[in-house]
Amino acid sequence: MITWESDLTKALGRGQAEKKPILLDFFNPG
Amino acid sequence: MGAVTYPDEKVADFVMQRMVPVQVGANMPLAAEFKVKWTPTIVVLDYYGKEHHRTVGFFAPEEFIPNLLLGMGKVDFDTDLFGNAIHQFDILLEEYPKSGVAPEAIYLRGVSGYKSTHDAKPLKEAYEKLKAEYPQSEWTMRALPYSLL
Repeated sequence: MITWESDLTKALGRGQAEKKPILLDFFNPG
Repeated sequence: MGAVTYPDEKVADFVMQRMVPVQVGANMPLAAEFKVKWTPTIVVLDYYGKEHHRTVGFFAPEEFIPNLLLGMGKVDFDTDLFGNAIHQFDILLEEYPKSGVAPEAIYLRGVSGYKSTHDAKPLKEAYEKLKAEYPQSEWTMRALPYSLL
């Protein structure tokens, strides 16, 4: 299961720490 | 994507192991910042927040992973990490040779090979592979000048 971040700033921090790129998904909230 | 592709075990494992996933509604301010006009829009960023790859529309699981590999390769390519880019493109081409993004990966692999060695051979090899395996691809057309090298 994918555990999504909702805050890009937090995700970028994680990306820098883990040396991973970011997958940013924009979805239709309905 | 949320009903089919993201619940797929292989997709989930790939994303969780190799990327940091962020999901944002298209009605949020971040969507305007990224000029998102339709969903699903998928963007691959480096960890400084710079965009390197974008797709719009649904992808089935077997096509989504190679798309992400292409995006990861483009992150490395754009940041001059050509050896890393070649590694990403090789995984894509070995595991998903029938993917719609395979021709682009072959093209960028050839350019990465040239950029890292300044030898034209990888460019010509990319053209030959494209011509043999994907003759109708636009990437074969884009690589046509390399046939003269």
